[in-house]
Amino acid sequence: MSQTILETRDLTKAFGGLVALNQVDLSIEAGKITAIIGPNGAGKTTLFNIIAGVYRPTSGDIFLNGQTMKRTPWYARAISPELRRKVFSEKLQQYIPAHKRTAMGVARTFQNVLLFGNMTVLENIMAGQHPRSRYGFLSAAIRSPKARHEEETISLNAMKYLNMVGLGTHAQQNALSLPLGQQKLLAIARALATEPRLLLLDEPGAGLNTLEKRELSDLIRRIKELGISIILVEHDMPLVMGLAEWIIVLDSGQKIAEGTAAHIQKDERVIAAYLGEEVE
Amino acid sequence: MVSRLKSKWPYAVMAALLLLLILLPFDWFPGQYTTLMIFIGVSTMVTVGLCLLMGYTGQVSLGQAAFYGCGAYISGVLSTYHSVNPWLAMLIAAAVTGLFAYIIGYPIFRLRGNYLALATLAIGVIVWIIFSREGPGGPDGFSGIPFLSIGGFAFDTSFKRYFLVWAFCLATLFISQNIVRSRTGRALRAIHGSEAAAESIGINVAQFKVKIFVLSAVYASLAGSLFAHHLRHISPQSFDAIASVKLVVMAVIGGLASVWGAIFGAGTTRWLSDEILVSYPQLAGWDIPIYGLVLVLVMIFMPQGLFVALKSGFEWLRYNWRELPSITRDIYERRILRLRSGRVEP
Repeated sequence: MSQTILETRDLTKAFGGLVALNQVDLSIEAGKITAIIGPNGAGKTTLFNIIAGVYRPTSGDIFLNGQTMKRTPWYARAISPELRRKVFSEKLQQYIPAHKRTAMGVARTFQNVLLFGNMTVLENIMAGQHPRSRYGFLSAAIRSPKARHEEETISLNAMKYLNMVGLGTHAQQNALSLPLGQQKLLAIARALATEPRLLLLDEPGAGLNTLEKRELSDLIRRIKELGISIILVEHDMPLVMGLAEWIIVLDSGQKIAEGTAAHIQKDERVIAAYLGEEVE
Repeated sequence: MVSRLKSKWPYAVMAALLLLLILLPFDWFPGQYTTLMIFIGVSTMVTVGLCLLMGYTGQVSLGQAAFYGCGAYISGVLSTYHSVNPWLAMLIAAAVTGLFAYIIGYPIFRLRGNYLALATLAIGVIVWIIFSREGPGGPDGFSGIPFLSIGGFAFDTSFKRYFLVWAFCLATLFISQNIVRSRTGRALRAIHGSEAAAESIGINVAQFKVKIFVLSAVYASLAGSLFAHHLRHISPQSFDAIASVKLVVMAVIGGLASVWGAIFGAGTTRWLSDEILVSYPQLAGWDIPIYGLVLVLVMIFMPQGLFVALKSGFEWLRYNWRELPSITRDIYERRILRLRSGRVEP
């Protein structure tokens, strides 16, 4: 009945000799909040970067809405498939780059926020509307009617997202003049402005106080109500347990468990991964 | 829409400046600035491109004089030796230079920061060597480039060319201003802010960098063509590495992140080099240290450039002009007090 928005098959990523992800198979349901947890160095952020298209997987495939992220460049297509596999293995394989995945409906936030410090709060969100607007250099240069019309839509939409995260009164402020909690909300608004179907939140709760965390989980629930699937990486267990409908646990690049919060809390391998195993 | 409080003041100032610009070349206007202003206009066109590239996109180019030179040389050679119509020559020059920038753009923008600066510097030097070795006249350059003309109307006096150059210059400024305020401009600033974040909101970072590089090269090329058809004599000397550095100095003085600052940057630098240094022969050879000094002073006292500094100074005056006498009195009295008490207050 339920649809999968994201699927990974045999996803492996090695940095030189270090295997950050080892044949990870995931299947993420659409319209749900899924959390990825695991001890430090488990490969959570690497997984995020691969899904978002920043890193190229060493092998394996990602499916977004059932659509593969692999693509074969024209020069590789000229070589017969067997020869390609024999001689080049995965070397000629290309993956859809990050900016195109955003247009396909994957948006993300960063652990270290990464707002545009040379713009106002509103402009940050307007920049987020980039993949949902079309006009280019030429119409921009002469300020054509099309450009003006789109510009109006962009700023209206931007205001909508700004109000959604409750930063409407800060529109004309410099983005970096906001306190960290609001910066994180702004980063989420910027990601929302790309009108995603899947939102990846990388440690949204890090560095926030209790009140801000409560606001954050409210916001995440509201985003879910818009029909956007959410994956979050988070260390804050109360936040994760309160929010996530499905939890995936990674350890040393491997998926060791998945299930609901109650299920995960009882899982022996998860406890072992976090606390270490008991010596008999 | 978010509406900002808008006053009529900026328009009044702009109208006054425009009027000044129009009246400046007439004979009865005090001072002889026509030639200087033509050079300022030409330099402004190159500087605007550099502002878009450096101030907005955050990419360094220390080889902009190469594109400037390409414009001048291609247009000059075609119209002088192959009797191509100067306008057509100018267009061909812009297209070829743009294509050149496009071809070198993709590999060169894989580099960042200092490496990018060095690579662009190298391209500037290579192009300059090609001009000196392969260009007509070698290191001495060549003369006899025809004037631009429309129908029977030739731009054969400085007075006429002044208006031609400034028409081009203002057009570039307006186009750049529009680009900066658009979706494209936001994308460029996003790249400056954080490339990873820009990529994450769907901006094709590599492509945008190359596009703006091509645009700045086309600006420089058009400026070069205008320069060639104005001076009628060009030599590789005008397009060497120092010329590139001077262009960067212009952009920084005017304000990297302000389109209109380009006029002020180009104006200050050109005025220094063409008026002050020429009228004091004992300063010959000191131009580079003087530029350096000006650059350092600008970086310390107005890091956002002359234009922003002037603008905020003007704003300050607008709000405080009524209190000006009391403020001066204040400063004066405080100094008297300080002198009397015999100690320096923090």
